[in-house]
Amino acid sequence: MTKYVVKRVLLAFATVIIISLITFFAMNAIPGGPFNKEKAVSPAVIAQLEARYNLDKPLWEQYIIYVKNIAHGDFGVSLKNGREIKDIFAESFPISAKIGLLASVIAIAAGLVLGSIAALMRNKWPDRVIIFFITIITSMPSFVVATLLLYFFCMKLGWFSAFSAGENMTVLPVIALSLSPMAYITRLTKTSMLDALGQDYIRTAKAKGVSSRKVIFVHGLRNALIPVITYVGPMIASILTGSMVVEAIFNLGGLGSKFVMAITNRDYTLIMATTIFLATIMVIANLITDIVYKVVDPRIKLD
Amino acid sequence: MKKKLVSLVLVASMALGLVACGKSATDTSSNAGTGSEAPAVETTKEDKTTLNIWMSSEPAHIDPALNSSVDGGCLAVNSFEGLMRYAADGSLEPACAESYEVSEDGLTYTFTMRDGLKWSNGESLDASDFVYSWKRAASPEVAADYSYLAEIFPSFTYETGLGDEDVVASEDGKTLTVHLKSVCPYFLDLCAFPFFFPVNEEAVEASKSADDPVGSWANDAGENFVCNGAYVLSSWNHDSDMTYTKNDNYWDADSVSVTTLNVMLTAENTVAYTAYQTGDLDFIDDIPVAEIPTAMQSSEFNILDNLGTYYFSFNYNSDLYDSLGLNEEDAKVFRHAIALLIDRQYICDTIGQTGQVPASTFIPAGCVDGNGGEFKNTDYYSIDDYEANVTEAKSLLESIGLFDTATDALTQDVSFTYLTNNVEGNVKIGEAIQADLAAVGINMSIDQEEWNVFQETRKAGNYDVAREGWIMDYNDPVNMLEMYTTESGNNNPQFGKDSSKSLDWAKYDEMIDNIRTEADLAKRAELMHEAEDYLMDTWCIIPLYYYNDPYMIKGYVDGVYGTVEGMKYFYHATIK
Repeated sequence: MTKYVVKRVLLAFATVIIISLITFFAMNAIPGGPFNKEKAVSPAVIAQLEARYNLDKPLWEQYIIYVKNIAHGDFGVSLKNGREIKDIFAESFPISAKIGLLASVIAIAAGLVLGSIAALMRNKWPDRVIIFFITIITSMPSFVVATLLLYFFCMKLGWFSAFSAGENMTVLPVIALSLSPMAYITRLTKTSMLDALGQDYIRTAKAKGVSSRKVIFVHGLRNALIPVITYVGPMIASILTGSMVVEAIFNLGGLGSKFVMAITNRDYTLIMATTIFLATIMVIANLITDIVYKVVDPRIKLD
Repeated sequence: MKKKLVSLVLVASMALGLVACGKSATDTSSNAGTGSEAPAVETTKEDKTTLNIWMSSEPAHIDPALNSSVDGGCLAVNSFEGLMRYAADGSLEPACAESYEVSEDGLTYTFTMRDGLKWSNGESLDASDFVYSWKRAASPEVAADYSYLAEIFPSFTYETGLGDEDVVASEDGKTLTVHLKSVCPYFLDLCAFPFFFPVNEEAVEASKSADDPVGSWANDAGENFVCNGAYVLSSWNHDSDMTYTKNDNYWDADSVSVTTLNVMLTAENTVAYTAYQTGDLDFIDDIPVAEIPTAMQSSEFNILDNLGTYYFSFNYNSDLYDSLGLNEEDAKVFRHAIALLIDRQYICDTIGQTGQVPASTFIPAGCVDGNGGEFKNTDYYSIDDYEANVTEAKSLLESIGLFDTATDALTQDVSFTYLTNNVEGNVKIGEAIQADLAAVGINMSIDQEEWNVFQETRKAGNYDVAREGWIMDYNDPVNMLEMYTTESGNNNPQFGKDSSKSLDWAKYDEMIDNIRTEADLAKRAELMHEAEDYLMDTWCIIPLYYYNDPYMIKGYVDGVYGTVEGMKYFYHATIK
């Protein structure tokens, strides 16, 4: 196990380096630059700015400087507003992570419960009601959900303020973010639960007189969890790093919008930081997923 | 991507609007936006001291020297103050300066500072703070977007910044003497422009480091943020909101009755519009295009004149003309014909929608001439009689062998590409032009590029025709005329860059130089007219309309005003 984890961590490290390399050269290859303005800035000023941020050096040298700085924990400053990248992350990631974590918990809990109910009461009315709503939710992208929530709860009912300085909304964005993964988890749980319940060992357990609660939770659900875990790992990673759309609609100032903003502004340092950050979280999530497999199903061999 | 989001959200919100309309069976209007149920105008608000406003997304900088956006400028004028400021009627009035004198040759300005000026932290502020701030703003270390404004000073260079003689404070800090390179009729306007606002030396220097020659003092709210205007930044949740509170050390604090300004920071005008409708915002500086027809019915809808022109430009060196067999002179006639074929009123009415005025000059209407009058005194073509314009265009095209009036058709295929950034309104304008040209058989296709790429393509001259637009930084024609000197970074039409052409663009460069040095203001105005004539005579610059600036403000707010440069002033606001 330890050997496996060490191997995976090293591999993850290599993955992040390769991603950073590709991103670095790709972003420099696309036209445009961080100092383009409607009113052209004087060439002397551009030269000063490029010198300040080492952009006047050859690309490979820029990359080496960048990697060296990162090794010292220095992600540099945003080329657009001069703020420290680590400050930007320190204030925006907790916002996204809080909403994302709440949404994940709700999505997983509700998804597992609803999926199990649907599987156990297959073809009865609770199953049909659940699947009906799940189908509707699946076909609604989060921005539609978010807009609907904003419209009804802020405009029509007036339960929440559409804007209140210093206060971020929590309830509505969490709902908007959790619905779609919840629907997916419900469907996954239902399918794999049905599959697990049809297995021989369930029949054996029942024949041995094991209580039905134990059959469902220990033998059924536990085995049904494998496909769900496969989905949940990367889902949590992407939900934690924020949704551009939901954050824009609820004016959250999270990390989600930075991904797109950075590219639009050709804010090279921020592009690199967001990419590396997302890549790191993704590989960690995948690693944890694999380890959790082992915990849930000891038959799975990791090496 | 972002564009897509906005339109999708719009579609979603419009669908909702339709649902809402369905409930009230009488409402069958086509304005089925979220605003279909226009709320009754509120005439009073409980909290008389708080104003909630929205301008745009988070500005890159609120350091007045570094800011180059209009919305950032709005924040600057409400939290900092220069030697001069704009009053509600658009006139300049002394602010940090109490009075000023101009030397007879117009090259030396002597400002007498107001007594008892203080920074927001209570320390005193005098002329020497202006010396520090101006030198800093123009320095190569700061490398500000607007450092070109410092070209008015005699010893300014981009490598060394300002010299010691350019701006001098007296020993007692009571007077500030400014020397200019040449007569500058808009200098007092510049004194009310954020680039020339004072910043606190201690705060700036304390926040500098070896890696950061600019200083991060204005990157967050807190003790480091020291200002001298009506409001001081008290909290800043990045990309979400800012709160400004009244600065009790402001010299004019007695006339400030709104003590808290909450600023929403979002790029999505639909989100801001929703917050305005729910009453969570009192002022919004932009309205979603789809909502304009509904919003315009409201008494809360306002339009300010803006000093700016929406236009497009032909690339002078495009190989389009060669492919049509046109020499330089004929190419000019061709471009002239295109200019006449566009129905500008249609664009204003159906795309602009907020009462924009069709443009017949490059320098916008309302711009002053620096000699006490309005600059605009001519129309380069008629904007009233579109039919006549089309007829004239056809005969122009015929004169260069591209059109046959007998058959009312082109004699050969004429195709070119219109380049624009991928924003809905700009593309729609491109489509309107496309339709106008198609009426005579000209085939114009539209290329869309992402904003950053678009700017590079345009600058490199890799286009036939490209969308342009400019809102002036200060009220003087030279601000727009100087964009087209040969070496200017905005010379997108590539004037003077192909030596094989006979166009004499060195002459234009010389004209701009002469304008910059001319001391006689009447003569100077005349030179600017000549330069505009010379520029327009290429028919590379095709004006479409003059910009204006729609905004919405609740009926219970009085005293908010704006300038033609787009700045909004909130410190004299009152709430009923």
